[in-house]
Amino acid sequence: MSHRVFVCRCEDVTTHEIEDALDRGLSTVEEIKRYTGLGTGPCQGKECMCTLVGLLVSRGLADADAVQPFTARPPAEAVTFGALAAVPESPPEKGGAS
Amino acid sequence: MTVTNEMGSADAALPQRADVVIVGGGVMGLSTAYQLMRLSKGRLKVVVIERSYLVSGASGRNGGGVRMQWADRQNVELMMRSIDICKGLAQELGINTWFRQGGYLFLARTPQAEAQLERNAELHHHVGAPTRLLSPEAAREIVPQLDVTDVRVATYNPDDAVVFPWAFVWGYAAQAVKRGAVVRTHTSVERIEPEPGGRDGFALHLSTGESIEADTVINATGAWSVGLNRSLGIELPNHPHRHEIMSSEPLKPFLDPLVVDLACGLYFSQSTRGEIVAGVSMPSEGDDADPTEINLGSSMLFLGRLSRALCRVMPIARSLKVLRQWSGPYDVSPDGDAILGRTPGFPNLIQMCGFTGHGFMMAPVVGELVARNLVQGKDHPVLSRWSPGRFDDPSYTGRGETMIIG
Amino acid sequence: MASGILLRRGDPPWTLDYDGRSIPCAPGENVAEALLAAGELGTTRSLKFRRHRGPYCLSGDCGTCLARVDGEPNVRACLTPVHDGQKVVSQNRLVGRGPDPSALADKFFAKGMDHHHLMVRPRALNEIMKEVARNLAGLGTLPDRVDGRGATFRHEAPDVVVIGRGQAGRAASQEIRRRGLRCIALERMPGGAKHDDDFDAGVFGIYPDEGLICAAAVEPRATDRIFTLRPRHLVVATGARDPMILIDGNDTPGVVSARGLVAAMSRQHFRLPDDVVVIGPDDPGARIARGLNARHLRPQDVERIEGSDAVDHVRLTDGTRIDASLVVLAPRPGPASELARQAGAPVRWNGAGFEVQREHPGGRVPSPGPWTLWAAGEVAGVPTGRSAHDGQVVAQALCHREGAES
Repeated sequence: MSHRVFVCRCEDVTTHEIEDALDRGLSTVEEIKRYTGLGTGPCQGKECMCTLVGLLVSRGLADADAVQPFTARPPAEAVTFGALAAVPESPPEKGGAS
Repeated sequence: MTVTNEMGSADAALPQRADVVIVGGGVMGLSTAYQLMRLSKGRLKVVVIERSYLVSGASGRNGGGVRMQWADRQNVELMMRSIDICKGLAQELGINTWFRQGGYLFLARTPQAEAQLERNAELHHHVGAPTRLLSPEAAREIVPQLDVTDVRVATYNPDDAVVFPWAFVWGYAAQAVKRGAVVRTHTSVERIEPEPGGRDGFALHLSTGESIEADTVINATGAWSVGLNRSLGIELPNHPHRHEIMSSEPLKPFLDPLVVDLACGLYFSQSTRGEIVAGVSMPSEGDDADPTEINLGSSMLFLGRLSRALCRVMPIARSLKVLRQWSGPYDVSPDGDAILGRTPGFPNLIQMCGFTGHGFMMAPVVGELVARNLVQGKDHPVLSRWSPGRFDDPSYTGRGETMIIG
Repeated sequence: MASGILLRRGDPPWTLDYDGRSIPCAPGENVAEALLAAGELGTTRSLKFRRHRGPYCLSGDCGTCLARVDGEPNVRACLTPVHDGQKVVSQNRLVGRGPDPSALADKFFAKGMDHHHLMVRPRALNEIMKEVARNLAGLGTLPDRVDGRGATFRHEAPDVVVIGRGQAGRAASQEIRRRGLRCIALERMPGGAKHDDDFDAGVFGIYPDEGLICAAAVEPRATDRIFTLRPRHLVVATGARDPMILIDGNDTPGVVSARGLVAAMSRQHFRLPDDVVVIGPDDPGARIARGLNARHLRPQDVERIEGSDAVDHVRLTDGTRIDASLVVLAPRPGPASELARQAGAPVRWNGAGFEVQREHPGGRVPSPGPWTLWAAGEVAGVPTGRSAHDGQVVAQALCHREGAES
């Protein structure tokens, strides 16, 4: 069997793919995410982003005091189009069901 | 470890002077850089300056649609050429572009939209584009999940396609760098000024404190172009507009074409990874704010409107799940046509702006024709038609492309 | 099939159907727990290397327990309660004879797989590769039928919204209510005693520009509910989670996160098999190993985790082989700060994750929203043992501020 150390299991990104991105001159969290696909699967980086940052910091490739995560965007939970379609165009100001 | 910097770098060494400095490392600027290096056989000194990382702007935030179904003859012809380039672009650039010709399916639910699609089909037939007018039932044969209850007519062009946009940017960058261009990332142009001494060149002052001189400058900054132009006192009528978009969780392939519902401006396609990528027309409120401010936020208003539209057009989507939403800037031109060519008063400043949400798909062909113009002196009709000076021309009608989505 | 890695104390009364096999399950369990108890560890195949993958985080965060449940694709097994006769189907897992796909991937892509530059040329090969890739990608297939259940919508404007009913969130909401403010406390993982204003819903979006917090019932969706909330105070108490530990074979089915496992055991009173290994730094690894009555290993002493469709053993750097049917990863927890970041909270790297930066004392966080933002507990880097106290301190500061304002 091959030896593989996974950073991102959703998109099958191993330490080897991270090395490849670094070799191509990509250096920031955002660039590595986009090139390797890390953090773009169903977990949206919840499992893998901190592992990547830890790896970059431990190698001196990111500054621990300055490094920032990639942009947090909704949805943070899986939500269906059907549920979202139930939200009216402008939610009422007062509480209550509609 | 050998670092190749094949996709540019924050450390790439800048020459003191370049033949062409391209501001903006999006697909438009990089496609032009690649074509300049290719056509000049590496003789030109070309520098691309990108304010952030590659694919950070609109080139990295769009839905990856590539279509020849336009209302304007010139756009149809340009996009026929662009799609032709795209077919072999993976091989030309040496990177997978995931170009997939699943077609575009347009749905019309109003008499106006019906008339538009009928005009399009006739025009496309005339110029040799394989667009077909379809009945609602025939549209459902292509996408069986559609609700076509009040659809009057549809058009389908099997040659239209979707792509993975980021690979275009990386591929053009790598090929430009390989041929000797410099791609400098994480560096912005703070100020641009005409060279003293009566020459027509420019000096560009960078966020890093460096400067670079250039005979020719190309403004390929899209939605960010207003600020750069203003530093030279140039006022053009394009402005940024936030366009929101989202993707679903990945599904096995079921949807071949990109579907557009003209009634609500909904569009959706399925990427190679299996995600439904979708957007919808939104109100333009906020566009009157400072045009040098780019809003890349996401809204619940969009997510709700998109979901209502998608569940109506394709009801099976009700129990599918949203994975991510994001936004990117359209660079909107008042007539829907790009702002392309030499700038009035500054002949060596080339504008490549105002593409109004279809810059990505046009970049392969537009980069080629701009480079041909600069290297070989070849003209092309769009260079006068889309000229930045047209807005001051007394004969300007203000009419341009009407098939703008989103 | 591996042996079960969660052991029950009695015989479960129900069964569910998993890929045609009958699996025992008990009221109160979720689908992931039932599968792990039955030794069904793999629910999917990975995207590129076609490796077996299964439930890992057991808390709704990771992406590898997604299955088709009762005709609906991409459902998180770990968030879905079981019911008698439930139909669960694995996804993206081609079942059939022939060579093992992960062995094939190992043979051809021993070092790694660069999908950007894979089989780009010649074009004919590229066209075949794209079609194969498209069919290997994606997870579930379309739902069996259009979802006819409507979702219910509710809007609330309470004094306070608390996100999370863990130690910090529960302590905060109790204190806030005790002082007479209306407080809605949201929790994505249902369970435990509830106040009338405790909603079982996961916050999926915080939109500071629109002043909205949006939440929806996560699995099951039998009763689909969606909420928009507009509070004057928002307390983020979303806790922490286990980042992946970089060890060879860390994706093998039967490797699970310590937090998820400990929480599952406290909910369901499972027992564990005798051959359990906990891998993690001394803090918290040794403590968790003691609690689970398992063997503790430091990551630096582990060469790799071995097994194909299930964990078989752990190989140490000194060559020792330790048989294990369950491997528990216990890294230093990383704050779960995604929602705080959506709300615009500043964060800083703390060596394990990004923790919310608070203004001291009291736990207020600078934010662009129309509410006052607070963070409590592990999300702000507070250790587990002090989370409840921290929740109380934040609640007191919030109420003090509220008193001063009114």
